[in-house]
Amino acid sequence: MFKDLDPILHSQLRLAVMSLLISVKEAEFTFLREKTNSTAGNLSVQIQKLKDAGYIDVIKQFKDNYPQTICKVTRQGIKAFEDYVLNLQGYLGKG
Amino acid sequence: MSQQEKQLTEKESLDLIATMINQAKNAYHDTGVSAIMWGTVVAVCALVKFTELRFHYRLPFDIYWLTVVAIIPQVFINIRENKERKVKTYDDIYMNYIWLGFGICIGLMILVVNGMGYAWQPVAEEYYKLAGKRSSFQIYEFVSPLFLILYGMPTFITGAACRFKPMLWGGLLCWVCCVISVFTDAKVDLLLIAVSSVFAWLIPGIIMEQEYRKAKKGLAQANV
Repeated sequence: MFKDLDPILHSQLRLAVMSLLISVKEAEFTFLREKTNSTAGNLSVQIQKLKDAGYIDVIKQFKDNYPQTICKVTRQGIKAFEDYVLNLQGYLGKG
Repeated sequence: MSQQEKQLTEKESLDLIATMINQAKNAYHDTGVSAIMWGTVVAVCALVKFTELRFHYRLPFDIYWLTVVAIIPQVFINIRENKERKVKTYDDIYMNYIWLGFGICIGLMILVVNGMGYAWQPVAEEYYKLAGKRSSFQIYEFVSPLFLILYGMPTFITGAACRFKPMLWGGLLCWVCCVISVFTDAKVDLLLIAVSSVFAWLIPGIIMEQEYRKAKKGLAQANV
């Protein structure tokens, strides 16, 4: 089992969101939904979990009178992601 | 992606990370509108100037003012493209600074070249009085190579950074034209500027626009 792997990141959708955000400066909620093929409700829940863990910042604002949610990864999120990938590589190395 | 929290194996995790990073990398295609506009504007300015010299006529205004006027639609293009963007990459920020720096350098170059022109004028007149003939050194003969140096720089960097070969080759062509223009007269220099702007910006811009439309169409079909 993956005892050392961060449980926040070791979930399909949250890991997908973090992988997308790690490669860009910031992304809109609609972009994340489009790329992960997820539903708005499920994505909102997972984004909230990442936010609560301090891995991403979520900015809610209005653009052309429509609500807009922008997500960007934090320093803590980058560190957690790097550690997660290192641990994964460790497991693969053992295998 | 499923609503359930799927337990991932280590290989699935790494595959997912690689897939998503690639998705983010190909997330946005530039529209190419700016490149098309500037390629056209600079080529038209150079060609009109060429016809002025070749056929000995003068427009009531300097055609190069068109490049200043083109800043207005550029501002609107930037605002519209920023609004349409759902994602901002680090590349976008660097590229914006590079092209902004290029614009500032062009402005400064115009200032310097005009300053040199005014400073050279009395020297040329003095030479004419003393020698009874015009000096073979004409400062405007060296203006085009200077601009071609600048044209090449951001074009080459953008082409290399975005792995977009038409722009990379376009940037290199600007520098090749710069070398040639040192040995040619001002009329040919203007043709070289027109050729450079067509190959550095207009053609890559058209290719970028086609790719952008293709990507947009693909996305629209995927969302149906």
